[in-house]
Amino acid sequence: MRLNDEKSIYLQIGQMIEDSILRGIFLEEERVPSTNELARLYSINPATAAKGVNLLVEQGILYKKRGIGMFVSRGAVEKIRETRKAGFYEQFVVNLITEAKALGITKEELVEMIRKAESGRPIEKGAV
Amino acid sequence: MTGTQNCLICEKVVKSFGKNTVLKGVDLTIEPGKIYGLIGRNGIGKTTLLSIMTGQNTCDSGSVTYGGMRVWENEKATSQICFSRELSPTILFGQNTMRVKEYFRMASCYYPAWDAAYAKQLTKEFGLDLKKKVCKMNKGMMSMVTITLALASRAPVTILDEPVAGLDVYMRDRFYDLLLKDYEETGRTFILSTHIIEEAANLLEETIILNDGVITLKENTQELIDSCRYISGLAETVERAASGFQQIHEESLGRSKTVCVRLRPGQQLDLSAYGNELTVSPVPLQKIFVYLTKRQGEAV
Repeated sequence: MRLNDEKSIYLQIGQMIEDSILRGIFLEEERVPSTNELARLYSINPATAAKGVNLLVEQGILYKKRGIGMFVSRGAVEKIRETRKAGFYEQFVVNLITEAKALGITKEELVEMIRKAESGRPIEKGAV
Repeated sequence: MTGTQNCLICEKVVKSFGKNTVLKGVDLTIEPGKIYGLIGRNGIGKTTLLSIMTGQNTCDSGSVTYGGMRVWENEKATSQICFSRELSPTILFGQNTMRVKEYFRMASCYYPAWDAAYAKQLTKEFGLDLKKKVCKMNKGMMSMVTITLALASRAPVTILDEPVAGLDVYMRDRFYDLLLKDYEETGRTFILSTHIIEEAANLLEETIILNDGVITLKENTQELIDSCRYISGLAETVERAASGFQQIHEESLGRSKTVCVRLRPGQQLDLSAYGNELTVSPVPLQKIFVYLTKRQGEAV
C-alpha cells in the first residue's frame, strides 16, 4: 500500500492493518508490526503510526501484550466486517446516489447497472 | 514531561544586523524526544535563530536555556546540542581546505557522546573520502558530511540545517530512513530546517513556522494538515459554505472558486447539506506554509 493525501495518515495506517487482517496477512492472535516498523516502512513519524495503531486498540481489533507487542484480537475479522458494512452505506451508497442524481441516471437504470455489475457482465457501450 | 527538564527554551530572543531586526522576540520551547521541522521563507532568520539556540551566536536580548541552564558560553549545555550547519566551500579568507576527517575529529572532541563507529559506518555508506577537502566537494557530499556529523554526535538535541539541500532523491530517502532508525533507537530530539517540506512532512511530529521575526505557528503536523481543507465549486456556494471559517487562501476562475479554510480546534467542517455542489479536498503542508507566510501583495 502507498500512503496518499486523501485521508489522515493515521487513519490510513489503521486501514492498512485492517486490510491486512481481512486478507489473512495478519492472522488472529498473531503479532502485527510495531509502531517503529510501520514508521520506517511508510517514512512517517512513530507518533503518527502509534495513533493509527491505538485507534485499532480502542476498537478492540488489536490488543497489547506488555513487553511483546501488538496482537490481532480474536474475532477481529468479524468486527472489521461489521464496522465496514456500517460505513459502506455512507461511503459508497450515498455517494453513488448523489453522483447518479447529478448525471440524471434514473432509479431503474441504476438498479439495472447494479444487476449487471453483480452478474459480472460488462455494460454495453451506449446502454446508458 | 515535568517543567523545563531537558527542554530547549528561547524567551523573547531579539537579534538585529545593523538596522535590520531579524528576530523580533522569539519564544520557542523544544521538548525532548520529538522530531521538529522549522520552516520559513528564504532569509527569514532560521539559521540565525538556530545558531543562537545552540550558543554559536549572540542575541541582543532575550535568553536561551537548556534544562534550565544558560546556553551561551556554557559547555555543559552546548555539548548536549549539536548544530550541524551547512558546509561552505569558501571561508573568510579563501577556500575551505578543511578535510572531512578534521571535521569529524573536531566533532569527536566536542560532543561527549560522539559515536566513532557510527560515523565510520555512515562514511562508508555515503562513500565519503575522509581525506577530501571541503572546497573540492559537491553539494551532495557536503550534505552527507553534515548529516554524518549530526547523527554521529548522538547529542540529545540534534539540529540539522537544510540537511537534504544537495542530495538526490535516492539519498534523501536514505536520509529520512536513517533519521527514523536513529530516532527509534535513541528517541532524541531532532530539529530539521528544510525547504523540501512535502517530503519531510510525515516525519515531523511538530511543525514550526518562523515568519517576520517571530514564531507564527507551532503545531502537531498531522493535526495542522487535518485542520486545513480546500472547498471548491460555484463561487457563491463556496462563499456561503466557507463563511464562519478562517480563510487562508482563495482563488477564482470564472464562476468557480476555491477557498482554503483552516478549522479551529473543535471546529467541524460538515458540508453534507451541499450534496455534490462542493468538492472538499486536503491541502498539502507545503501549500499551508505558502498561504500562511504570504506577504501583502505577493502572488501565490
